[in-house]
Amino acid sequence: MPSVVYLFGFMSDDFVGRFLVTPSDQTIERLAEQLMSWGWNPEAGGPYRVTNEAGIVLDRRITIAQAGLCSGDLFNVDRG
Amino acid sequence: MALQRDDWLDVARKVDWTYRYVDEREVFPESMSGTPWLPQQAWKDWNEVYRTTYREYVRNQRAKDDALMGARSALSKVSILERLDPGWIQLVKFHQGTFALAEYAAVVAEQRMARFGRDSAWRTMATLGALDETRHGQIPLLMGHDMLPFDGNFDWTHKAYHTNEWLIIAARHLFDDMFLATNAVDLAIQLNFVLETGFTNIQFMAMAAMADRASHHLFEKALASIQTDEARHGQIGHPVLRTLIDNGAKEHAQYLVDKMWWRCWRLFLALTGSSMDYHVPLSARGRSYKEFMQEWIIEQFTKNLAEFSLARPWFWDLFIEELDYAQHSFQLGLYAYRTTLWFDVAMPNADERRWLSEKYPDWNKIYGPIWDTLERRWQQEGEGSTLAYTLPPLCNLCQLPTLFMRPGKNTACTREISGRKYVFCSEPCRWIFEKELSRFAGHTSVVDRIVAGATPGNLPDLLKWMGLQAPNETGKDLRRGLDRWRLEPVPKV
Repeated sequence: MPSVVYLFGFMSDDFVGRFLVTPSDQTIERLAEQLMSWGWNPEAGGPYRVTNEAGIVLDRRITIAQAGLCSGDLFNVDRG
Repeated sequence: MALQRDDWLDVARKVDWTYRYVDEREVFPESMSGTPWLPQQAWKDWNEVYRTTYREYVRNQRAKDDALMGARSALSKVSILERLDPGWIQLVKFHQGTFALAEYAAVVAEQRMARFGRDSAWRTMATLGALDETRHGQIPLLMGHDMLPFDGNFDWTHKAYHTNEWLIIAARHLFDDMFLATNAVDLAIQLNFVLETGFTNIQFMAMAAMADRASHHLFEKALASIQTDEARHGQIGHPVLRTLIDNGAKEHAQYLVDKMWWRCWRLFLALTGSSMDYHVPLSARGRSYKEFMQEWIIEQFTKNLAEFSLARPWFWDLFIEELDYAQHSFQLGLYAYRTTLWFDVAMPNADERRWLSEKYPDWNKIYGPIWDTLERRWQQEGEGSTLAYTLPPLCNLCQLPTLFMRPGKNTACTREISGRKYVFCSEPCRWIFEKELSRFAGHTSVVDRIVAGATPGNLPDLLKWMGLQAPNETGKDLRRGLDRWRLEPVPKV
């Protein structure tokens, strides 16, 4: 049963962290897209990578729960 | 024959005596007087450099108030205020809201030292300090009152600290920590040594110079007058610090200095940094916030630390790095969340952007594209598209949004304690929090309260909870104001 988690997302071309509420069975890719859509540059495409607070790159195909992200965790999306 | 001043002042300053009916520890309990608890003998060499008698104090203060009241009667007319730069008006509104009642909190702090300070000369200085701080609360309240006919939001001079507005919660959190919930020793180091010999120089002296150039002469005179008081009672900190170090408490002293330096840096970049670099009219700017910090704060404070053989705070490199970007990120935050503020916020125009690029060589590369996007969005989609609609994580120590990031560097971090997750804007904020867990861990930020359902999660109700009546009372774009539709009455059938 997926739960709802709240996370703090930080995008490299943004200036502020953002608070997101999302189901834990959402993929990392979808999570990153959600963060980017809330940022100042949603139309910017290009490659990006998602990391957790420890700097470990997260596989975009796995779910938030599988990546070990829980409520109150932060993650980074680095463009370019 | 009347005694001359110097014949009696030293005797009057030093009236500590030996207690016969109670223990010294009962008169000065450690919880109120501070750690380490030292016998009076250890404090007997406590001396202030500039000594003042009560007679001199009253005469000087009366002269200062006479001068200020004279300036007020000549310079507080609405016609004079109308000639001030609109950005400057917002800066004053911001300043008055965040400082007026904080000064009243400082009265409590000085009074605590006046009772629990360990040497009578210290207590006398603190008594005068309490009178000073009363004056520092009264002056902005009076000025704010005078400005009400010009702009009704100046009622935030008095109102701000009675609300749950997020920026005021951040200021209150710091001043509660520094002024109200602490003992005499810690107060002397935090308030007198760090804040008053360090950071108030920038708020009251550098800002006074800018006020002069911005033609707000009453504000200039008020700030300069306040700073002369701060300089006098600020000297309480030095002899307290000296006594601690001479009695083996250097580590505690270093911690207090480090902690309060970082806490003051966070709040002052938010209040003063963004104001100086974005709201002061270009013609009145001269130096940047970073330059003021380097010249007025860092240089002087480094000398003060060397005098006591104290080290620079361990986070010094991060602090120096942040001088180039923290206040710029914060200004973007203020702009994007301006509807949650009581003052208007500036988007820098072309001339201001050139000035910012000269003062901060990386500014245009990092912040230019974001302001470009906001500008384009306003033109294409209107005001609503320039506002942030997501909650920012708020630091569980400084209570400010976690917006001290830049390309390639995110300073935010977390910590789990007893099953609760905490988020911090930076490593130093987390370090302070961990050092004093029992002091800070029970507090909930505005975002924590929203998550827990204790505070409204929708914007209209959240604004009411914060004490803001939208749209008239809430912050707008400084130059564009509101989209017209927001001010038009809702059509009725």
